[in-house]
Amino acid sequence: MSFEINGHSFSQQPQTGQCLRTFLRELGHFGVKKGCDAGDCGACTVLLDGEPVHSCIIPAFRADGHAVTTIEGLASEVGIHPMQQAFLDAQGFQCGFCTSGMIVTCASLNQAQRADLGASLKGNLCRCTGYRTIEDALDGKSNVEDAEPGAAFGRSLPAPAGPQVVTGKARYTFDVAMDGLLHIKMLRSPHPHARIISIDSSAARAMPGVHAVLTHADTPTTLFSTARHEIDAMDPEDTRILDDTVRFIGQKVAAVVADSEAIAEEACRRIDVVYDILPAVFDPAAAVASGAPVIHPDKTPGHRVSNAIRNIVAETHGEFGDVAAALASSAVTYEGTFTTQRVQHGHLETHGGIAWLDAGGILNIRSSTQTPFLTRRALAQLYDLPSDKVRVFCERVGGGFGGKQEMFVEDILALAALKTGRPVKWELTREEQFIATSTRHPMRVTVKAGADKHGKLTALQLDVLSNTGAYGNHAGPVLFHACGESLGVYNCANKKVDAVVAYTNTVPAGAFRGYGLPQTLFAVEAAIDDLAKQLGISPYDFRRHNVIKPGDPMLSPAGTHYDDVTIGSYGLDQCLDLVERAMEIETKHDLDDDWLIGDGIALTMIDTVPPQGHIAEVVIAKRDDGGYDLTVGTAEFGNGTATVHRQIAATTLGCSVEQIHLRQSDTRNGGHDTGAYGSAGTFVAGKATHDAAQKLVAAMQADSNARSATGTSGGTPRSVAFNVQGFRVAVNKGTGAIKVLKSVQAADAGAVANPMQLRGQIEGGVAQSLGATLYEEMVIDDRGRVVNPKFRDYHLPSFADLPRTDVYFADTYDAIGPLGAKSMSESPYNPVAAAMGNALFDATGIRFTQVPFKPDRIFPELQKKFGKA
Amino acid sequence: MKARAFNYVKASTVVEALKAFEDAQDDASYIAGGQSLVPTLALRLQAPQLLIDIAHIPVLRGVDLQGDWLRIGALTRHHEVLTDPLIRQHAPLYSEAAPHVAHPAIRNKGTLGGSISHADPASEFPAMTLALGAELEIASRDGVRRVPADDFFLDLFQTAIEPGELLVAIHVPVVRPGHRWAFHELARRRGDFALVGCGILAEFVDDVVKQVRIAFFSVGSTPLRARQAEEALIGKKLDQAVIAAAQAVVGDDLDPPEDEHTPPAMKRHLARVLLGRLLGEIARQGA
Repeated sequence: MSFEINGHSFSQQPQTGQCLRTFLRELGHFGVKKGCDAGDCGACTVLLDGEPVHSCIIPAFRADGHAVTTIEGLASEVGIHPMQQAFLDAQGFQCGFCTSGMIVTCASLNQAQRADLGASLKGNLCRCTGYRTIEDALDGKSNVEDAEPGAAFGRSLPAPAGPQVVTGKARYTFDVAMDGLLHIKMLRSPHPHARIISIDSSAARAMPGVHAVLTHADTPTTLFSTARHEIDAMDPEDTRILDDTVRFIGQKVAAVVADSEAIAEEACRRIDVVYDILPAVFDPAAAVASGAPVIHPDKTPGHRVSNAIRNIVAETHGEFGDVAAALASSAVTYEGTFTTQRVQHGHLETHGGIAWLDAGGILNIRSSTQTPFLTRRALAQLYDLPSDKVRVFCERVGGGFGGKQEMFVEDILALAALKTGRPVKWELTREEQFIATSTRHPMRVTVKAGADKHGKLTALQLDVLSNTGAYGNHAGPVLFHACGESLGVYNCANKKVDAVVAYTNTVPAGAFRGYGLPQTLFAVEAAIDDLAKQLGISPYDFRRHNVIKPGDPMLSPAGTHYDDVTIGSYGLDQCLDLVERAMEIETKHDLDDDWLIGDGIALTMIDTVPPQGHIAEVVIAKRDDGGYDLTVGTAEFGNGTATVHRQIAATTLGCSVEQIHLRQSDTRNGGHDTGAYGSAGTFVAGKATHDAAQKLVAAMQADSNARSATGTSGGTPRSVAFNVQGFRVAVNKGTGAIKVLKSVQAADAGAVANPMQLRGQIEGGVAQSLGATLYEEMVIDDRGRVVNPKFRDYHLPSFADLPRTDVYFADTYDAIGPLGAKSMSESPYNPVAAAMGNALFDATGIRFTQVPFKPDRIFPELQKKFGKA
Repeated sequence: MKARAFNYVKASTVVEALKAFEDAQDDASYIAGGQSLVPTLALRLQAPQLLIDIAHIPVLRGVDLQGDWLRIGALTRHHEVLTDPLIRQHAPLYSEAAPHVAHPAIRNKGTLGGSISHADPASEFPAMTLALGAELEIASRDGVRRVPADDFFLDLFQTAIEPGELLVAIHVPVVRPGHRWAFHELARRRGDFALVGCGILAEFVDDVVKQVRIAFFSVGSTPLRARQAEEALIGKKLDQAVIAAAQAVVGDDLDPPEDEHTPPAMKRHLARVLLGRLLGEIARQGA
């Protein structure tokens, strides 16, 4: 067959059954990305005879005799395509994984299609940006500034990888060709709970092209947690690389290593597993009741499982003052139970990596991870290797959102490379992302609250039941965090917490942007709102009256012995003022009286670093060309740290950012970095960069021959950051449809390192959270199976689904953070569901207590109250 | 997942395609746009050993006015349905539904014939085929037959097309003066499958409904005609009371499946809301 790709004609025969996407990638067009392989996300969009198509659902042979243009072919000899330049000028990307497909689609739009972007971009999903900067690119707006040498901090400088991202040249985890590469496919459990009696893999091993079949018999029996934390003791030891008991549908059973994915997949089908099926439990309330099937019967507090027989991984109980007495004597009280659903990160680059042994006997793992250093440590421990014999690194990571603060694939990749001596690749499918990685913890939260007649909070109580699924990765820390800052932000003499996180036979939950706070805030901020309404006090004033002020302790039961959190800067008052002022502006609309309109707000506080240490070590070294090499461990996955680290270094050293040459996220470079999680990229790793730069300046002043300096940060002391979200919504009485008329968020991120990128983090956080608030839900059936493991049925917000959010910054300067900056990656997500719930209550008088607020979900209550349409 | 390693043959005539299917002893699939087929192959919901490419068969292409009928070739792409002036003029419900079908990249490849023969009960085009009262031209080794849309959609993803048969064209009776039509769907949000959707084609004489076809989708295992609601309109002027009467009976016309999130009662309610809006719009078209 003959093809014309990017203007070059050639003959080649695709493999039978091959799609155009894999065909193009085999030919080296790595700008063509895989997000779903089902025609839902658009990351693989190419032009076929000038028309955009999803190359993942075009059989390769269909391109026979046609012209294909990929992102790499858009640029001409004269220079890059105007649409590529537009995305560069607007910085219309964060992680950049969707960007190739997005630009290809945008470049093909005619004027009419440009006038209706909601329809035209329906087939291209972006999980990071919230689409505003993409719209800016199409509108020809520029969002970037430049900076004088030494003045980079605080300027909207573009991401250094921008030119590569928009041309499809940025290399992500799987964007590399390697000779002799083998492929892994995983046989997964069809049962929610079973003991494996036997695995017969002889037929699979006998297949030509199969190099190894790995089962629990091949793996160490060491117990660990897939969660990655600086201190391993934060998570239970309840997981094996491959286990002889399976505890959820989708759990790893046997890995096949073969010449191709197709052979590996076929071999998986030929493995015969005999299971002894065990009783299973899917509901967390049922799981903690007596008589429930026990999911980890052999675990003890020694494994950091609180009460294995009751399926309780972790719990916390405590009371300050006397909540019952305070409620009894309060002028107004509120009690409600709120539930949150299971949602998925939906980063477009799936989990996976490539592993190989090099000539020096070093095990190299190129992985899509937020924690290369902690993953190396875990692998060295699991396989008893010296840490200098293991290297973990990432190229550009296509989104993470907490989902890659885990070791889901590297353990298998390492074993496969060690066993076969060959380079091996494992790339999860979108379905595997849904059924076998991690999700947000679904929670049931009962809140009780009271206030006196003057509007002073008298009591706050939380009763939380969290569902961690089959394994306890992040179970405890998420639970503690959920009950921490949500109560700590309010001054109240009487507070009580009873919180439990349960095992169930479902896909495990893990770390996800916000780390528990979105779930509890949904309840707490509803209670605050309700008390204010009962007292006739504005929701702004009620909060102003009761939130912590500089100097106040931030208390939540049962208390903590990590007492290193201080208010390094305080902008919560400004955030409330900014949102109140923005919400006072009227919204024009032409809605009829079927629509009810209301306003709602919610606030959030977040500690700028997770507790128990977050460590970064950074080296700056002078180069012969007058520039500097900056070596940092933290990973870039769209969060913008690559930009900010250069800004911090250049500002401190008095040079331009172009003179700072960044080397990132590779254990081979030395040093240590706990990881790109807990919003620590600027506050911790940036502080280490600042420290290194300051030391180098001092050293050069003392000795003009000084060449390099090392900076460190231990992630302590910690500060707090704040956000306030406001919504104005319209709800249709007859259909339950919700329109967002206004979305406002004010953030206190300290001194703003890069206003454009910070705005992007906030818009993206609100967008992702609106997905969870209004639309997204993983549905698990009564057998424990995820019934909607694809984007088509799960449906991330597309361009048309999201309002534009007005973003405001408080003007503060943090005493602890680098150059006055604080963290701001997770927190924008946190108050969104709560603010939306409050706006719906204001509009309808109905307190909706379950997210997502799908029209069909809220409709029955609307109909009960407002009658037939 | 990876598709089974299928063989591939390009057919240049309908007879060639039919013969290839027969020779493969039914272990084959026709591929037109492939936008539904390829994902199902990748998920191994289907695993034929042979794919017969019908995209190059000239007789399956083209849009022609043939007297009182518009013949739309089965290979007409969604994008063409959206933009074709003959379809806009003579079979307008297809044009109105087209923007709601998938998204541009899919519409560039997906075909009308593919969508109709796939017969997804949540899809727009099968229901509009019903509303328009179209006839489906089906070729087999025995020759060609035409099946009215009312007899075409049999069950979930099942149509009157027998294994090995091929949908050649869609024949639509053209709309005439006196015809009015409306299309709308309710979805959780743009791009989602509709919770309920509906297309209506009505013929008026002196503001009185002479004939009407109301076709719903996403409310049963096939696209469904709302026969009782139609009955309630025939011979009437479309005033508030008549519309209300049609709304009162439309729930009985539908057969929404049990669904955890959208119970049948709610789908029926939404269908009533939707019918009210559409009939109101049709009434206003006469003003």
